[in-house]
Amino acid sequence: MRTTHAPGSVMARNARARVRGRRRRWFAEVSWKYVVAAVVVVYAAFPLVYVLSASLAAGGTLTGSTSLFRSVSAENYQALDATRFWQWAGNSLVVATATAIGSVLMGAAAAYAFSRFRFSGRRTGLTTLLIIQMFPQMLAFVAIFLLLLSLGEVIPVLGLNSKLALIAVYLGGALGSNTLLMYGFFNSVPRELDEAAKIDGASHSQIYWTIILRLVTPILAVVGLLSFISTFGEFILARVILTSESNWTLAVGMYGWVSDQLNANWGLFAAGAVLAALPVLMLFLFLQKYIVGGLTAGSVKG
Amino acid sequence: MSTQQSFAAAVAGDSPPPPRRARESHARSWNGLGVGFLAKLGLMAVINALGLAAVWSAFVNGAWVLLGAMVVLLVLADWIYFTRRHVPLKYLFPGLTFLAVFQLFTIGYTGYVALTNYGTGHNVSQEQAVDALLSQNEKKVPDSPSFPLTIVRQGDALGFAVVQGGAAKVGAADQPLELAADATVVDSVVTAVPGWEVVPKGQVLSDAVLADEVLALRVPLTDEAQDGSIRTGDATIGAVYRSVLTYDATAQTMTNTETGVVYRATDEGRFVADDGTALPVGWKVFVGLENFGTAFTDDTYSGPLVKIVLWTFVFALASVVVSFFFGLVLALLYNDPRVRGRAVLRTLFILPYAFPAFLSALLWRGMLNANPDYGIVNQLFFFGARIEWLDDPTLAKISLVMVNLWLSYPYWFLVCTGALQSLPDDVQEAARIDGAGPWRTFRSITLPLLLVSTAPLLIASFAFNFNNFTLIYMLTGGGPRFTDTSATLGHTDILISMVYQISGVSGGRADYGLASALSLIIFVVIGVISALMFRRTRQLEEVN
Amino acid sequence: MRKTLFRSAAVLAAVTMLAACSSGGDTPAATTAPAAPETSAAPAGATGSLTIWVDENRKPAVQAAVDIYNETNPDVDVELVVKNFEDIRADFLAQVPTGEGPDITIGAHDWLGSFIVNGVAEPVDLGEKASQFESVATQAFTYDGQMYGLPYALESIAVVRNTALVDSTPATWDELIAKGKEAKTKYPFVINTNGTTGDAYTYYGLQTSFGAPVFQQNADGSYTNEIGMGGDAGLAFAKFLGENGMKGEGHFSTDWTYDVANQEFADGNAPYTIAGPWAIATFTGAGVDVAVDPIPSAGGKPAAPFVGVQGFYLSSQSDSKLIANDFLVNYVATPDVIKALYDADPRLPAMTSVAEQVASDPIVAGFLASAKQGAPMPSIPEMGDVWEFWNAAESSIISGSAEPEAAWTKMLADLEAKLG
Repeated sequence: MRTTHAPGSVMARNARARVRGRRRRWFAEVSWKYVVAAVVVVYAAFPLVYVLSASLAAGGTLTGSTSLFRSVSAENYQALDATRFWQWAGNSLVVATATAIGSVLMGAAAAYAFSRFRFSGRRTGLTTLLIIQMFPQMLAFVAIFLLLLSLGEVIPVLGLNSKLALIAVYLGGALGSNTLLMYGFFNSVPRELDEAAKIDGASHSQIYWTIILRLVTPILAVVGLLSFISTFGEFILARVILTSESNWTLAVGMYGWVSDQLNANWGLFAAGAVLAALPVLMLFLFLQKYIVGGLTAGSVKG
Repeated sequence: MSTQQSFAAAVAGDSPPPPRRARESHARSWNGLGVGFLAKLGLMAVINALGLAAVWSAFVNGAWVLLGAMVVLLVLADWIYFTRRHVPLKYLFPGLTFLAVFQLFTIGYTGYVALTNYGTGHNVSQEQAVDALLSQNEKKVPDSPSFPLTIVRQGDALGFAVVQGGAAKVGAADQPLELAADATVVDSVVTAVPGWEVVPKGQVLSDAVLADEVLALRVPLTDEAQDGSIRTGDATIGAVYRSVLTYDATAQTMTNTETGVVYRATDEGRFVADDGTALPVGWKVFVGLENFGTAFTDDTYSGPLVKIVLWTFVFALASVVVSFFFGLVLALLYNDPRVRGRAVLRTLFILPYAFPAFLSALLWRGMLNANPDYGIVNQLFFFGARIEWLDDPTLAKISLVMVNLWLSYPYWFLVCTGALQSLPDDVQEAARIDGAGPWRTFRSITLPLLLVSTAPLLIASFAFNFNNFTLIYMLTGGGPRFTDTSATLGHTDILISMVYQISGVSGGRADYGLASALSLIIFVVIGVISALMFRRTRQLEEVN
Repeated sequence: MRKTLFRSAAVLAAVTMLAACSSGGDTPAATTAPAAPETSAAPAGATGSLTIWVDENRKPAVQAAVDIYNETNPDVDVELVVKNFEDIRADFLAQVPTGEGPDITIGAHDWLGSFIVNGVAEPVDLGEKASQFESVATQAFTYDGQMYGLPYALESIAVVRNTALVDSTPATWDELIAKGKEAKTKYPFVINTNGTTGDAYTYYGLQTSFGAPVFQQNADGSYTNEIGMGGDAGLAFAKFLGENGMKGEGHFSTDWTYDVANQEFADGNAPYTIAGPWAIATFTGAGVDVAVDPIPSAGGKPAAPFVGVQGFYLSSQSDSKLIANDFLVNYVATPDVIKALYDADPRLPAMTSVAEQVASDPIVAGFLASAKQGAPMPSIPEMGDVWEFWNAAESSIISGSAEPEAAWTKMLADLEAKLG
C-alpha cells in the first residue's frame, strides 16, 4: 500500500483512520467493561470456591482453613448416588417449575387487570398486594401445618406431605411483588395496540393472550426465573409440609445434611450444592435470549 | 390447532392489517369466541367438578368452615366467569384465591395467637393439660417392684393377673388384688386363672378400644387407697402407682391428696393454689389485648430500642440502595452489544443467586474471620491485617450490608436487565441527538423511567430486609453485644430479631402470644411506611 | 420461530395445569379406600400403626429395631419419618397437641423440661430393665421421680490427643499446656469457641473444675433453678479464661470456630483439643492418630463436662400408647438394638452391657470415661435462657474486650433478672 499512490489511497487512509477511531472508542468504551466484569465475577464466585473445594475434598471442614483444594477427588459426587439426591432433585424441579409457571400465569393476569382496567379499589388493591407480602412469617410453621391438616381431611391431595399442596402454598405468594414488577412493564406496552385490536373486534381475553403476553416476554421470563430460583432454594415451608423423605425437595434434604453442625457432612452438601446450582444457571442461560434480545424493537414501541 | 395458529397470527398482526370487510371480521370473532369459549367452558367444568367433589367431601367430613369457604369460592368463580361484567376480577380471581387461602390464613392465625398466651407452659388445651398433669402425678410407689402381668377378663370386666413374690394374684378395678392359688404360672407369668379368661397380649395390642381400657385400668393393691394400685403401660409389666392429684371437673380444681392443697383453674390457664404455687402444665387461653400491653410496657428493652430501630432502617435502606445500584450498573454496562460473551458473563454474575442462601451466610462468616490465618478476606485483600469484621460494631454493620449486597445484587441485575428492555429507545436517542451525554441521559431519562417500574419492588425489598432475620441470625447473631444493657441484644440486631429475644422464641421459654403481638405491631409499622412510599411512587408515575 | 416457541410454552402451561387438576381429582378416591381389616385368626402380635420421628443419621438403626419388631408383630405398620434433628423439638411441641404428631420421637434429654410443662410427653415405665442402663442416663430422663423416655446413648466431650505429638494427657491444665508447648507445634492446645459467639458447652469441663456448675444440684444430682456459677469459684474461672485468653497467654481464642479448631488439630498444629466423638472422623480422615483422655482439672476439682443423653420420647396424645410402649420397652431396650443404634451413630451406648462390649475400642472407652466423670446437662426449662448470656460473657472475657470479673458479675446479675 505504501508504494502505490493510486487515487484510492485517500479513501484507504480515511478508512484506516475510521478503524483507528473505532478502536480507540472501543478501548475507551468497551475494554474496561471486561476488566469490571472480571472483578465482579471474582466477587461473585469467590465464596463459592470454598464450596467447590469442600466438594472435592473427602471429609474435612468447610471454612476451617484458608488453604483450598488440598485434595481433589470425586468421592463426594459419587457418594451422592447412595443418597436420595436425584429423587429430591426431581421433586425440586417439578415443584419449582410448576410454581414458576403458575406464578407467571397468575401474576401476568393480575398485572393485566391492574394495568388495563380502571376499577374502584385498583390502587388500594395494588398497595395491599405489596403490603401483605411484608408480614413477618414467624408463625408460618404452625399456621401452615394446621391449615393443611384440616384441608387434607377434606381434600387429601392438598394435605400434608403433598407436593401439590406445597405448590399451592407457594402460589399463595405468587401475587405481590411479581404482579408489581409485571405491572410496571405492562404499562410500558402502548395502549394504542389494545385499542386497535378492540376496534377490530378482539375481546379482552384475545388481546391478553395474543397481543400483550407476547410483548411482555422479557418480564415473563424474569418473573419465571425469579420464582423458579426462590422456590428451588426455599426450605422453611417445604420442610413443614413435605414430611416423607421421598417427597423432599433438594433444599430440605441438603439442609438436613448440615443442619446439625456436629454431624454436618460438608463434602456431600458441597457436592450437592454445586450440582444443584447447575439447573438454575442453565435456565438463566436459556431464558436470557427472551429477557434480553427478546423482541424486535418495533413491536414493543408500537 | 391450525385454526388457533392462524387466528393468533391474524390478531397479532405481524404486518399492518389490511382493510377488512365486515364479513371477515365477523368470521374471525366467531372463530375466536369458539376456541376461547370452549377452553373456558372446559376449564370451568373441571373446576366445578373438582369443587363439588371437595364440597361433598367437606360435607361428609363435617368440616363446616371449609365447606362454607369452598361454596363461596365456587359460586364466586362461576359468577365471575359466566357474567360479562367484572372483567378485572376474571384476571385477578385465581391469584386472589391462593392469596386468601394461604397468605391471609397465616396473618389471621398470627392475629388469633396474639390474643392468647400460647407458648411454653401454655401449649395444649385444658383437657390435655389435665390429662398430662394426672399422668405426670400418678407416681410409682417408692421401691415398688415391677412384676410380670397378664390381662384377664371376667365377662365385661377386665382384670390384671400378676406374679408377686412368686405368688399369683388377680384383681380388677372394683376388687383389690387377692391370691389366686390355683392359677397356672409359667416362667413367672400367669397363663391361666380359673374363673377368668386370659386375654392374649396380641389381642390387647390389636384392639384400640381394649388397649385404652387396659391403659385406664387401675387394680387397687388393698382396700386402702393410699396403698396405691397396679397399672401397666405395655400390658406385660405392672407396678404399683399412687395418684397424687385428683381432678374435680365441675369445680375445676386439682387436689393434692398428700398435702391437701387445692389448685384452682385460673383465667391465665393454670392451676394455682392459694399460696400462689402453680402446677407445671398450663393450657392455652384467650388473654385479650394483654400481649399488646406487654409489648408497650416491658422496659428491659426500651434502652436499646432507639438504636435498634435506627439500625433497622439504616440496614434495610442501605441494603436496598447498594444492591439496587450495583445490579443496575451491571445491567446497564452489559446491555452493550459490543461486549462479547455477554451471555456467559451474565450467567456468572448471577452465581450467588444459584447457591442456597443459608449456606452463603455461613461461608461469609468463615471468610470474615478476624484472624488472617482463617479469614481469607483479611488474608488476601487486607495483606494479612487483623480486621475484626464481625466483632467491631461499625465493621459488623458494614459486613452485613456487603454480604447482603452479594446475596441480592443478582436479583436487581435480573430485574433491571428485564426492565431495561421496556425503555423506549427513541427517547434516549432523541436525548443523545440533543447533545446529552451518557450520564445525563441516564440521570434524566433512563433512571426515572426505570424507577417507575421498579419502585414497588424497591419498597418490597426494603420491607423484606426490614424483617431479614435469617441473615442477621446466621452472620452475626446480632453481635457484637451491647455492653450497657442486660438485654441479650447487640449492635446488629434488628426489630424482628429483637422480637425473637423478647418473646423467648430463641431461648427455652417461648411466648408465641407475645411474639405474634410484636410481629403484628412491626407489620403495621412497615405496612404504613410502605403505603406512604407507595403513594410517592404514584406521583412519580403520574409525572412521567 | 420465537413465537411458536412461546405459544407452545403457553399450551404446555395449560396442559400442565389441567394435568395437575385432574390428578388432583383422581387421588382422593384412591386414598379413601380403606385397607381391608384383618379379622380372621387371633393375631399373635399387635395390629395397628406407629409413627416414629427420627433423624437421618439414626434412621438405619431405628429401622433395624423396627425390622426386629415386625418379625413378631407383622401387622403393625411402622412409619419412620425422617426429620432434621434441630426441628424435632419445636415440631413435636406444635404438633402433638393437634393429635397429629408422632407416637414416638427421638430426642435429647435436655428437651424434657419443656416437654413436661407443655404436657406432650408420656411417662415410660422400664420396670426392672431400668437397672440395665447407666444411672446417668436414666437420671437424665427422670423428672420428679418419673421416667419420661427411653435413654439409649450418651454423648460427652473429652480431651483428644494427637498421639504422634504427645504420649499422654496430664491431670492438670498447667501440665497440659507445658506438655503441649514441648510438642513445638503452632499451638499447645485448640478448642472450639464458636467464634465470637462463645461456646460455654465445650468449656464446661474446665469450668466445673473450679466448682462452678451452671445450676446448683440437689443431693440426688437433679438440678435446682438456682444459678451455681456465682461466688469465688465462678470468678476464679472467669479470671482463668481471661489469663488464657487472647490478651493473656493466648490458649483460648474467639477466632476458633468449630471448623477452625478441628482443622488446626487435624493439620497437626496442636497436640491437644477438647472435642466430641462426632469430630473423630474428621481427625482420622486427615490421617491423625488420636487418643481420648479425660479433661484435665484447671481449678483443682474434677472436670465434669456436660453429658447429653439421647433417647426416645412417647407422645402424650399417641393413639397407640400400648404398642409404642411395647415397642420401646420390649424391643428397643434390648442389647441388640442398642448395639445397632451405636453402629449407626457412634454415641456411647447407655445400656451398660453394650457399653462394656464396645469399650474395647480405646476411643470409645476414652469418651466413656469422660462421660462417667461428667454431669447431665440440666433439662430444666431455665437452661434455654442461660446459654445466650453465658456464651457472650465467656466470649468477651476470652477476646479481652471485657474485664473477667466485671463481665462475669454482670452475667450473673442479668441471669438473676431473667430467671427471676
